Amino acid sequence: MLKFRSVVSRIIALHLLAIVVTSICMPLALYMMLNYAAQELHHRALRERAAEILRYLDRGPDGAPRLSLPAALAQFYSEAYGRAAYAVLDASGNALFSSLAGGGAIIRVRPQATPFEYFALHRGDTGLVGVTVAADIGGPPLLLQVSEDLEHRDVLIDDIVAEFFTRVGWITAPILLLLLVIDVLIFRRALRPIVAASALAERIGPARTELRLPEEGMPQEVVPLVNAVNQALDRLEEGFRGQREFTADAAHELRTPLAILRTQIDTIADRELASSLRDDIESMSRLVNQLLDIAELETFVIGEDEIADLAAIATEIATYIAPLALAQRKTVAVTGADHPVLVCGNADTLGRAVRNLVENALSHTAPGTTVEISVVAEGELSVMDRGPGVPSAEREQIFRRFWRRDRRRAGNAGLGLAIVKRIVEMHGAAIGVADRPGGGAIFSIRFPAVIEADPAPAHQFETTL
Amino acid sequence: MRLLLVEDNERFAGLLKRGLAAAGFVVDVMLTARDAAAALRENRFEIVVLDLGLPDADGLDVLGEMRHREDATPVLILTARGSLDARVLGLQSGADDYLVKPFALEELVARLQALLRRPGNFLGVTLKLGNIALDTVARQVLVGDQPIVFSAREISVLEQLLRRSGRVVAKNLLADNIYGLSQEVGSNAVEVYVHRLRKHLAEVGARVQIHTLRGVGYLIAEEK
Repeated sequence: MLKFRSVVSRIIALHLLAIVVTSICMPLALYMMLNYAAQELHHRALRERAAEILRYLDRGPDGAPRLSLPAALAQFYSEAYGRAAYAVLDASGNALFSSLAGGGAIIRVRPQATPFEYFALHRGDTGLVGVTVAADIGGPPLLLQVSEDLEHRDVLIDDIVAEFFTRVGWITAPILLLLLVIDVLIFRRALRPIVAASALAERIGPARTELRLPEEGMPQEVVPLVNAVNQALDRLEEGFRGQREFTADAAHELRTPLAILRTQIDTIADRELASSLRDDIESMSRLVNQLLDIAELETFVIGEDEIADLAAIATEIATYIAPLALAQRKTVAVTGADHPVLVCGNADTLGRAVRNLVENALSHTAPGTTVEISVVAEGELSVMDRGPGVPSAEREQIFRRFWRRDRRRAGNAGLGLAIVKRIVEMHGAAIGVADRPGGGAIFSIRFPAVIEADPAPAHQFETTL
Repeated sequence: MRLLLVEDNERFAGLLKRGLAAAGFVVDVMLTARDAAAALRENRFEIVVLDLGLPDADGLDVLGEMRHREDATPVLILTARGSLDARVLGLQSGADDYLVKPFALEELVARLQALLRRPGNFLGVTLKLGNIALDTVARQVLVGDQPIVFSAREISVLEQLLRRSGRVVAKNLLADNIYGLSQEVGSNAVEVYVHRLRKHLAEVGARVQIHTLRGVGYLIAEEK
């Protein structure tokens, strides 16, 4: 069975069915009614003719019935004219007067027949209709028959009935179809606010929780649904905001005690103890920073006209991270950053993504190696290392929150790459991991498009980190 | 060297004061924005360490008032607000540097020293690292206690590196400083000068190392 999911298609289907039924039944009914009306007209005409003849029928002084038709009337009923006939019968059915050549009854009547009866006769290929009425002129009952030849009946009425189908009946279907089209347009129009509300609802997300469906212009039947949805969104927003603020507040509140702890450790005389405590504080600080990053990214919306320079970002991050790399006896390098590579996006968050990738690379490589940031003019930024690489089975998992290959390894909560993925996806870009020729891993961020750089220098797009 | 520390957490302020004092700073601590503003109006400090989250006002208000008075004392902001918006706000409103909590005391001291070494400051005319010292006024280099003759351009490169020791100096920044902004420099000219300087420093026994970060720039650090 066909299932119509849209209201409009349901309406169209039912409407079409209605059109089919109506365009068959309505002309039929009309035809029957017209036929009936035409018949009524004929019957009335017959009755009137009978009444007219009756006016000239009376009884003579001897009590015998007399019929003295005026010449014009007699002419009308004459056999030669052939359109109509009359006969006056006595109670036993014998004709007393008749316009017919044979002088008989038009139709034989049974004795004690109903004194009022319509009849129809067929003679060869022509037919006639008539009426038998009682002719009450006193004395023994008489019957008067009046008939009319079907061939010569009032032409106009019959033509209308006969041509009803070909001339008028067909109009039903087109009219109904036109109505359907109008109906569909009306429904489309009535549903337009719902379509608009759907488009709006599509934009509601973690970053845009303040949007609500408009009540204005909504069909009255839908307003309760809109209200209920909006109230549900209110509750969600409240819960969401509470959660978000808590995360952000918690991260903020943790930083000051961590700072105190960190400074206090700097005063510890036992260098070994201080160093190990410092490592713990470092990893905890990183976790707090990452939680704050995540909380912030949940609500982050990239401005529509924001432009970021991948070359500037690569250089900035390398500059920022170089001292850290050198302290681990590693180094960082940048290639392809001589010319600006502009993409639509937020330079700060992209910088954080690149920083996380570089930090991740540094934590997986041996001293003496280089972590390389490479920018390609087609809108790609890669971070390449000489570490152990990422096994293909893990290439999806590493971007999950709190995923760690080795749970025993301290100092890494497994949030860094999840943050990278979130930032990259926010920009409509893609991130992938591959093996680097000669050993190591390549993390590549690919943007869907680059913006053609103006000849002017792009220093205004540089990030501040 | 007189330093004003504005930090509302008394324990943290105490700890920082001890650490900074050990690094040679004379530290005054103010716990509120009002006290800090008053202290800044009446005294002259060489440098200010300003926490943003103060109980009575935002640290940025204190900074704003200072800059409004055309008080150019270098200010380093301490903040628990890690997000970039806050960082940019801090730098745009006239801060010279910022540190996000928590941080290493060494990092704070290094940043403060870097701020004090900036051109325009009276202090830090002698830049020191490892066993070398560069007198930026006399254009003289001492390795150990021995004066060594370097070419003017070598000294210029060394000065740029030492002013930002421990941090990366961009290659084009070095080029600009050597040749001036108007001149077009062959891309490997800087490399040639750094290479010569590195070789020269090694020959005279300087315990510093110039790291090359390909595509980024150079960084000078003490040899370990």
